[in-house]
Amino acid sequence: MASVSVHQFAPCITCHAWSPDQSMIAFCPNNNEVHIYKMLEGKWEKIHVLHKHDQLVSGIDWSRRTDQIVTVSHDRNSYVWSLEASEWVPTLVILRLNRAALCVQWSPKENKFAVGSGAKTVCICYYEQENNWWVSKIIRKRHDSSVTSIAWHPNNILLATTSTDGKCRVFSTFIKGVDTKHSSSGSDSKFGEQIMQLDLSHSWTFGIRWSPSGNTLSYAGHDSMIYFVDDIGPSPSAQSLAFRDLPLRDVLFLSERMVIGVGYDCNPMVFAADERGLWSFLRFLDERKQTSNAKYGSQLSGTFGKLYGQSKSGSNEANESSRIRAHDNCITSVVPLKKTRDATVTTFTTAGLDGKVVTWDLQKQQDLMAYLQG
Amino acid sequence: MASSLRLYLTCIRNTLEAALCLQNFPCQEVERHNKPEVELKTSPELLLNPVLICRNEAEKCLIETSINSLRISLKVKQSDELENILTKKFLRFLSMRAEAFQVLRRKPVQGYDISFLITNYHCEDMQKQKLIEFIVQFMEDIDKEISELKLSVNTRGRLVATEFLKQFI
Repeated sequence: MASVSVHQFAPCITCHAWSPDQSMIAFCPNNNEVHIYKMLEGKWEKIHVLHKHDQLVSGIDWSRRTDQIVTVSHDRNSYVWSLEASEWVPTLVILRLNRAALCVQWSPKENKFAVGSGAKTVCICYYEQENNWWVSKIIRKRHDSSVTSIAWHPNNILLATTSTDGKCRVFSTFIKGVDTKHSSSGSDSKFGEQIMQLDLSHSWTFGIRWSPSGNTLSYAGHDSMIYFVDDIGPSPSAQSLAFRDLPLRDVLFLSERMVIGVGYDCNPMVFAADERGLWSFLRFLDERKQTSNAKYGSQLSGTFGKLYGQSKSGSNEANESSRIRAHDNCITSVVPLKKTRDATVTTFTTAGLDGKVVTWDLQKQQDLMAYLQG
Repeated sequence: MASSLRLYLTCIRNTLEAALCLQNFPCQEVERHNKPEVELKTSPELLLNPVLICRNEAEKCLIETSINSLRISLKVKQSDELENILTKKFLRFLSMRAEAFQVLRRKPVQGYDISFLITNYHCEDMQKQKLIEFIVQFMEDIDKEISELKLSVNTRGRLVATEFLKQFI
């Protein structure tokens, strides 16, 4: 099995993030709180509850260098939490949003973070020393619908977004006084300038990520497609890959040649590029589910009996397929766990609506190792 | 089960399987709201193409999907007036108790007999397979139930008539 550990933290998890040393996990149990668990003597213990939002927390990111947590919520607010004497202290972020915030990510240098929102805007937030708060600059009037996912290019300037209008866009987020001029390509463009717009998908797009080098961009469409984009700039080259299973919600680059996709199929999918750079679907990471349609005959007859007869969560009469698989509801997020020196990830965690956090390790998957080193 | 019914139900089951990919999605139009988009229909880009599955003219099923909710409306077979009135009464009885069924809509969509509304919240605390199974089982049973009701009405009618006519013997 590729899954190393499975732990049920809550009935339902919407997003999760790991501490820099991976000893702690922060997640939202599908409500307005953020729970932080720590592994103590081989058991997960709840050590903090961050309680400040008043609607569903939709995004969490834990910075690696500064050890700060940023959370965004459907209540239009965002907080940056820092640990001061064993207490997490929130700092308000002035997002100036009038709709829900949907996703958040720290930039690679961690001097900025980006927030995607239902107001069809993206906020780029940075810290203002004199006022002691985080202020935001907003990229307006570029998206025609909610921004579902965002990803930072390793150069700290470019930001890629996906939206429910089906497009993928790349913006420059150069902020005077925060970024320095010579930070590689794209630095000559102004804040909010659109570098690229791709209209590949016929449906909503989700889960965008850059490859470790920043050369390739990958995102998923709700029409069961995954897209790979090279040569980001005025003339990008894109590959669209259709698969026969249910659509993906999030993707993760493990190396330049391998991508993990998670989504409604409850089973991580592995995509890999061959020597010529052509992407294809390799296999499912978990053992393939077995179709067990014959299990449903035992239900009570009568229209009323049917509803009361079936258990809500199906705990005691869970069908065979859920026992084989690690996840049994939609997987909503995938997060890399260990960074080795050459930016290749072999361990990652997935969390989903079934409330489980599953750790996957690809070290023992012989057939996948070639793509990881490539 | 008649083979055409089985095909009809399999088609609905497969469509639901693909359509039940819902997620939490806050309203784009109204601040701090989170409502089923399939009911509001404020942002056309958040709706998918509706699917209409017909077994014949009298029996059809409309599946409308949006980013955070799905609406499935059924038209049940009504071959004569008695079936018509039985269906109406029976489905009204169920609709009035909609909160017990969680996914049942209080009012059917225009042109249909009964509607279900499944939101992302239902998908979060119930298994997707069980939800689909519930809808399909419901469709299977509704026909059975109606024909049973029809039979018992007829039997009772015959019985009453016999009893009534006895006095003239």
